[in-house]
Amino acid sequence: MKKILCILLLFGSTWTYAAEQAEAIFKQLAPSLYQIRIIDKASGEKSSIGSGFQISADGVVATNYHVISSFARHPAKYRIEYIDDQDNKGDLSLLSIDVVNDLALVKRQVETEMPFFEISQAAPVKGEEIYSLGNPHDLGMIVVPGTYNGLKSESFSDRIHFTGSVNSGMSGGPVVNKETKVVGINVATSGNQIGFLVPHEKLLALYQAYQNDELPDIAQQMQSQLTDYQHQLVTELLESPWQLKNLGYGLVPTIDVPFIRCWGESNADKQDAVMLMVLANCSLEENLYIDSNFYTGSLEMEFRYLQAKKLSDIKFYQLFQRQVSRVMPGNKADKEDVTEFKCQHDIVMPQSQGINNKAIFCTRAYKQFDDLYDVLYLAISVDHHQQALISHFTFAGVSKQSAQSFTKQFMESVTWK
Amino acid sequence: MEIIIEEVSRGHKVISRDKFLTDHVSIGRAYHNDIILSDPHICPDHLTLEFDGQHWRVKDLDSINGSFLGEGKKSADGHVVNSGDVIRLGKSQIRILFPHHPVSDSISLSPFENLINATKQPAVLIFNVLLFTLITGWLYFLNSPKDINFTQYVVPAAGITLVFAIWPIGIALVSHLTKHDARIWTQLGVCFVFYNLTWVSDFLETVVKFNSSSQSMLAYLMTLLPISLAFILFWLNTYIGFHVSNRRRTAIAAGLTLLLFGGTYLIQLSKKPDFSVRPQFDSTLLTPSFLVTESSSVDEFIDASNKLFNKVDKAAKEKE
Repeated sequence: MKKILCILLLFGSTWTYAAEQAEAIFKQLAPSLYQIRIIDKASGEKSSIGSGFQISADGVVATNYHVISSFARHPAKYRIEYIDDQDNKGDLSLLSIDVVNDLALVKRQVETEMPFFEISQAAPVKGEEIYSLGNPHDLGMIVVPGTYNGLKSESFSDRIHFTGSVNSGMSGGPVVNKETKVVGINVATSGNQIGFLVPHEKLLALYQAYQNDELPDIAQQMQSQLTDYQHQLVTELLESPWQLKNLGYGLVPTIDVPFIRCWGESNADKQDAVMLMVLANCSLEENLYIDSNFYTGSLEMEFRYLQAKKLSDIKFYQLFQRQVSRVMPGNKADKEDVTEFKCQHDIVMPQSQGINNKAIFCTRAYKQFDDLYDVLYLAISVDHHQQALISHFTFAGVSKQSAQSFTKQFMESVTWK
Repeated sequence: MEIIIEEVSRGHKVISRDKFLTDHVSIGRAYHNDIILSDPHICPDHLTLEFDGQHWRVKDLDSINGSFLGEGKKSADGHVVNSGDVIRLGKSQIRILFPHHPVSDSISLSPFENLINATKQPAVLIFNVLLFTLITGWLYFLNSPKDINFTQYVVPAAGITLVFAIWPIGIALVSHLTKHDARIWTQLGVCFVFYNLTWVSDFLETVVKFNSSSQSMLAYLMTLLPISLAFILFWLNTYIGFHVSNRRRTAIAAGLTLLLFGGTYLIQLSKKPDFSVRPQFDSTLLTPSFLVTESSSVDEFIDASNKLFNKVDKAAKEKE
């Protein structure tokens, strides 16, 4: 009982300490913290809001790319506006973006030098108390204390795992340590008390690039970032070991990287099912946000093993043919962003000669970006009478070269035992 | 002098035909006439035809609605009759022929005609209808994801068979209404033979699609098969049901085929959304027993995709 009391007391004291600290931090930094609004020019009303913070004396403000994405995509339709802690309003211009790390730099006009957030030079240590600032639900600026939990391992792009509530509207707000130096930027939440932050060095790199280099326009920045991102991703995927796993009598590849995660399911418990179905699904559980109707960078792989139970060959094939005609792309995209899919099909046997597939490959091109495509592949084994192996992937935002290399590797990997 | 007088309908079908050996023929609604027509637009004593030793001459007896030559407005009164002349009186028409009038060559009963008639033999007809019902039921069974019992697929199959019988019955009805021989059993027989041939062509198409790659033209050529079958069926329907010239028969069959396939195509086109995120591909599958084609290698498949990338690149440029 004493122990419990002690723990309770200890908890109480740290709680009040944290709250006091948070208050002090908030007061000191409030003038450099902004609410960022995207204003629809035609209606004059805000279409989305987020947070931002000043990182230089001359008015450079950092925020998330997704906060200002509608302006970046349609500069004629919107304008960007800030509101500071004194309710002063003003316009912001867009300087540069980082789509992959979801960052953007915007700039306000300043007359005299202003206070600003300093970006930390070092990462926090695991367990360190850090403070997230922002503007959730348009309720006014708040501060949320939380804990630094290191980098999320199941993620291709670096993300800090933050234990604390990051809510919508806090996007783009800074996360500072006790020395009020920026260690991260709010970016996403995954439910109760789990938040994700962009590490500070990504912001530092973006700011340095802006200071040192002549930057191309926003569309070109996006093009080169997307091209580099997919190149790095596909290179890492192809260089990592592809391990073959059993799926019924089939062998299917799983790529041994932490950011690809797999799930499985089967209908082995259903006695009345006319065929046994074993399913494995592996995917990259992150994607790149371009705008609210356009996501890219996703990869999904799905494998199905089917075995007929008391079915004739013809009925078995007829039944699962219906399953495969319902394939859809894994990412959201609109008519303005992509073309319609074009497809090809053939009977294909990989070099191992372990399987004979009917293979279908479809692709659609991005309209605003050169040499980026969404691809979709589907193969159905046609060499066993009572068993079938279906292998499928969709990969969004890859170059032709990447798509072809990945498809080749994938096609050569799936086989029978 | 011998004279032949036919009463013909507006569609030039012969309604009645009389042969006279006399020099005087009277036509009208009254019962004392040689030819009695019941058309109320004809006068009791409408016209007479008189032979003057050399020619037959028309004499209109001051009828209310008059008598005219052929389709035109030229009065027939006093006209010297040539063999084959058509005279319009009231709303009726008569055709006058002389014994030396030429007739077309006789058509021999062709083996083709025998073949068509063979389809109406009860055994053949029952076999074809049953075969159609069985195939329909079997396909229904193949496509149902659950285990179903016999009656569950025989009942819809019988229903579909009845629906497909509507077409030949309909044509027979139209034949009958246009004063042709209905020949309903022949129509039914021929139709079900062709329905079954369509299953065969469907199956061939599936086999070809399954075996050919998207590069191959063969799959596209195979779509000509059902179109030709439909054309032949429509041609035969017209051949059995109506006496029309070969040219006209071909035109009717071509029109019906165009209506069927063009209409289906238009309906599909109208349902197609402006932009679809769903990929369209051929997912035809058959069991390994029907796989006869050589497999391509992965490299060949990847090489072929270059074309696909060029295609979407072009599409992306077009719509910008």
